[in-house]
Amino acid sequence: MVQVMFYVMSFVTLGSAFIVAAGKNLVRSIFMFFITLFGLAGLYVLALADFVAVTQVVIYVGGILVLILFAFMLSGKQALAALDQQKSKFISLKNFPAFILAGLFLVVMLNIILKANAPGLQWIQDAKSGHNIIPVNESMVNNIGINLMTRYLLPFEVISVLLMLALVGAAHLARKEEKV
Amino acid sequence: MNFYITYFIIAAGLFAFVGIFTLAGVYAERKISAFIQNRLGPTETGKFGTLQTFADILKLLQKEIIVPAAADKILFLLAPGIIFVAVYLGFAALPWAPGLIPSNINIGLYYIFAIISIETLGILMAGWGSNNKYSILGAMRSAAQIISYEIPAGFALIAVVMIAQTLNLQDIALQQGILSTEKIKFLGLADVTSAGGILAWNIFQAPHLLIAFVIYFIASLAESNRAPFDIPEAESELVAGFHTEFTGPQFALVFLAEYSMMFLVSMVGVILFLGAWNTPLPNIGSVHLATWTTGAVWGVIWILLKTLGLVAVQMWIRWTLPRLRVDQLMNLCWKVLTPLAFACMLISGVWRLWVM
Repeated sequence: MVQVMFYVMSFVTLGSAFIVAAGKNLVRSIFMFFITLFGLAGLYVLALADFVAVTQVVIYVGGILVLILFAFMLSGKQALAALDQQKSKFISLKNFPAFILAGLFLVVMLNIILKANAPGLQWIQDAKSGHNIIPVNESMVNNIGINLMTRYLLPFEVISVLLMLALVGAAHLARKEEKV
Repeated sequence: MNFYITYFIIAAGLFAFVGIFTLAGVYAERKISAFIQNRLGPTETGKFGTLQTFADILKLLQKEIIVPAAADKILFLLAPGIIFVAVYLGFAALPWAPGLIPSNINIGLYYIFAIISIETLGILMAGWGSNNKYSILGAMRSAAQIISYEIPAGFALIAVVMIAQTLNLQDIALQQGILSTEKIKFLGLADVTSAGGILAWNIFQAPHLLIAFVIYFIASLAESNRAPFDIPEAESELVAGFHTEFTGPQFALVFLAEYSMMFLVSMVGVILFLGAWNTPLPNIGSVHLATWTTGAVWGVIWILLKTLGLVAVQMWIRWTLPRLRVDQLMNLCWKVLTPLAFACMLISGVWRLWVM
């Protein structure tokens, strides 16, 4: 059952991602992206990471996607029309760097997956032998919260400062210059 | 395979409940508005007009689905479904009585908060798909409003979670009555673990949660696009906002979503602040009112009564207060509610550390 669910979810995610990339209609692409993100959330649930799944929905669907839509709807008709007229040939010189980047990234990912041998990693073996494992049905959120506030406090705070800087920068850019 | 059948029955039951609630809610709304405006409301169909909404829904379901020629057909047809499903999914994690909850997940509250944010997407979809200036203006207003008001609502919820120390809605409910395994203090002073009743509700366990509740309630009005925050469908400016173009069954779905959203946000408010399915009657000496009125059936009755009470307040507010302007709306959200919610969160932390 779980395996069937996994394949259905993966198919939905990959299929919708493909439509997002290949679709002509920009708005429909954005809404299709919603399905991709939701499928990803489903995959996280299957990986027993329910907190990550819900966070995915909150941040990407509730936040980022709506912001993308906002940006899209606020941009002028002319800009969008120019986008529509662009001839999108699949293979052209313009797309060459993108192809190289994507290809290289694929190679890196495949390399990692093939070479990593995840179940045989040292720290995973150590954790298994030391019974330092969180059982499936235990509360995941408590663990994440405690770790964020103790062991990973510094990275957490650094990220919060970074986001704060981004906010201040955005506010500065958006502010009207005072006329002298 | 038996439990899959149970799941389907529960889902169908919740859907039936939402439908019946909407029918009753529309009738109640019309009667309450009539009372407030010194009119009679529906009187003709059935005794006191009780069959009016059934007649309405019959008419709506028979009507043709008209798709505007310039609309984006797929988005237009899908939008009401997504708006409704987003709200309907939220019902999965709501506890109805001790031991009676469709899905007892340990991040229930967070899940509901996440899932109702999808409604924004559905509204934007409806607005864009209709290809109509009124619709898109309504959709943009609605999205801006919902995103802004999620922040005070979220922090008001965090204030409760910090007191309760869990995101599981059933656990939060359990902590507010005589079934609690933890010690309950009324206003942080008197031990009322065995008395229960209204004294054990979250808003009386920690008095600053009363402010958090008011913040949450105001924000929830905005999130369900109800007056005084109904600028997304401001009739005097935008015809009907994002659902201008919808007809027949689609319009019915949009309405179903609006009323189930009202019920959902009220029920979340009741669970977090007003004692969930716990009885308001405390044990007094040898008169064990709380013990007598706690149980599965009583739980459903109490939570329904409290939630319907909040829904009635929502309707009362809608027909009493005028609509806010956009700037007033944003001022209220960012300059009043958000700082207050932050303060509530801070007090919650202090309360948990030093008082509880």
